[in-house]
Amino acid sequence: MERPVLSMRQVLLAAAGVAALGIASGQAFAAEPFLVGALNPVSGAGSPYGSGMQKAIAMAADEINADGGACGRQIQVVSEDTQTSPDAAVLAVKKLIDVNKVQVVMGTWSSGVTLAVMPITTAAGLPEMNTSGAPAISTEDKADLVWRFQATNGRFGQAFAKIAKERGFKRPATMAYNNASGLGNTEGFAKAWKEDGGKVVASVVYEPKQASYRSELQQILAANPDVVVMGSYLPDTTIILREWYQSGQNPDLKWIIPGWAANEKLVEALGPDVTQGVIAVDSISNENAPSYAHFAEAYKKATGQPAGSNVYAAMTYDMMVLWGLAMQADCSKLTPEAINGRIRGVDSASGDKVFTFAEGKKALEAGKAINYQGASSQLAFDQYGDVTPDFSLSVVEKGEIVRKSVVTIGK
Amino acid sequence: MGFSLFANLAFNGLITGLVVSLLALSITLVFGIARFPNAAAGDVATVGAFAGLLGPLAGGGTLWIILCGMAAGALLSVAFYFLLFRPLAGKSAVSSLIASIGMAFFVRAALTFFLGHDQRVYPLPIVRAMPVGPLRVQPTDIEIVVAAVLALAAVFSILHLTPIGKRMRAVADNAELARVSGIRANRVLVAMWLIAGLLAGLSGTLLGVKTVVSPEMGWDLLMPAFAATILGTIGNPVGAVLGGVLIGLAQELSTPFVGFTYKLGVGFLVLLVTLLIRPQGLFAKNSLVR
Repeated sequence: MERPVLSMRQVLLAAAGVAALGIASGQAFAAEPFLVGALNPVSGAGSPYGSGMQKAIAMAADEINADGGACGRQIQVVSEDTQTSPDAAVLAVKKLIDVNKVQVVMGTWSSGVTLAVMPITTAAGLPEMNTSGAPAISTEDKADLVWRFQATNGRFGQAFAKIAKERGFKRPATMAYNNASGLGNTEGFAKAWKEDGGKVVASVVYEPKQASYRSELQQILAANPDVVVMGSYLPDTTIILREWYQSGQNPDLKWIIPGWAANEKLVEALGPDVTQGVIAVDSISNENAPSYAHFAEAYKKATGQPAGSNVYAAMTYDMMVLWGLAMQADCSKLTPEAINGRIRGVDSASGDKVFTFAEGKKALEAGKAINYQGASSQLAFDQYGDVTPDFSLSVVEKGEIVRKSVVTIGK
Repeated sequence: MGFSLFANLAFNGLITGLVVSLLALSITLVFGIARFPNAAAGDVATVGAFAGLLGPLAGGGTLWIILCGMAAGALLSVAFYFLLFRPLAGKSAVSSLIASIGMAFFVRAALTFFLGHDQRVYPLPIVRAMPVGPLRVQPTDIEIVVAAVLALAAVFSILHLTPIGKRMRAVADNAELARVSGIRANRVLVAMWLIAGLLAGLSGTLLGVKTVVSPEMGWDLLMPAFAATILGTIGNPVGAVLGGVLIGLAQELSTPFVGFTYKLGVGFLVLLVTLLIRPQGLFAKNSLVR
């Protein structure tokens, strides 16, 4: 057998030497990079969105770095996969914090994952940014370290109330799937509707996975509502609408349904007659803002996909940009807590509107207060660290889901 | 809270109860003859429901959907017997129970892996209900009532009027004695698993016609079906059907008083109270076995 030219040990030593040289020369030019953890659902149920979300974080980091970094610090993104599973996410976040020493964790998607990751990031004093919907995330975040870039279920309810009013409905009833999300929708609606002086004529909370919802419907229909506001999912919505149509009662009744339940699959399952006039409400990106146009172009270039195919990517993009701006707002203190404390400052209602990191950095350097208008939403965080996004109102017409308008709810 | 409200609630309860009771009928047969609670029954129903999606290819209409579903249920059920439950027949009932739970998980995982979580629906026209007195009756309701009555009649006649039925009851009563008397348990059990599969497939497709077809549908139906089986006395086919109907009625009729979120609890409360008073179930007298 011939001897190899180089032994494995020699190869490794050489590689280590080169690597060491690289690090040394890098340090000579810039301060240590700022480490950011991108924790996304690359596999599992969130896989249609996860890799786009991760790319969007990297895109924003590249923009910041191309502009000379935040406070002269280059952003370095360390990526991990949650597998859309709380177990895997907990392992991944521990690795990001303990091994990689990241200073902020961003991009968790499902509520279960976010709720599992939050206690760990909070205990480490690190901020956590997510795109989850569960109301519990707001109340569990006692240290104000958690930022939500997605509409809460309560905000969906507010949008429902605004739409019901605009469309002239007088006698709404509500039906909610018995979980935090379903109840969040209808309770948010009822609260906003009643504050506006309205009355809810009937409300039903139903158990999932039943063979029939006729008794539930019977109670709703008996109150003779003109619209039913739903906090529901696709399978139960399919059954309820079918049973309503079959019953032949209140044939002119209208339905306001969240977009994840009133989608193409619902129309496909029930056909154009049953779904005619159904109002679908979904949260949307900040579509008319320059930041969205900027993001959409870069996203298309980076992934080959249209930005509209992944609403969550715009959210994670905003996470990174916002974090960069919060760093830039005061370069003397770059600890995670200090940066976290400045997030509301760069999202300030009285500040100058800025749409990109570069614009924001310039304004901050000029000593101005800024208000970053995100690609995903205007942001405008409330006391719980939840954003205020826009909603789309679509109506099913002859089997087509037609976008009618954009609904903005008050800050 | 007029008469019409309660009449409609009772009717809804009857229909929901009948869907459950068809699966309960399948479980009670296995329970009575092979002597273990078959946790895979629900997922056999799911496979039946998915196979029903092939109905339109065969000829369309509810009947073909049901036939495809029943055929698939029967095939799977008999396959389970040869692969699992026959080798385990000599062991304790717990082995068969655990094996059936494992099979249930396997079937569901396989369905999800190959077909995904998305819901499907049968391409049936959606028609308006007919008013019958205070009731609003849908064609599906009539189909379910007819199917349940026919299934019950068929099971009953097979058990009591045919030679294979007599042998089934003999095996159920005393397997050893039946063997000594020259009854081949194998053939009896194949027939039994065949019927159990047909019933599960029927209940799955009917549930699919009423609701949507999804990989979890049968598993969700399993608990109420077990409750119906126990309430109507294990091994009693009439009891299983009546048990299912009783639970359905109790659930729906309780809703004006306890609300919709607690109606599932009411179903199980009925079971609990019955078992406290009559641990052998409601219909132990004319039971299939023992």
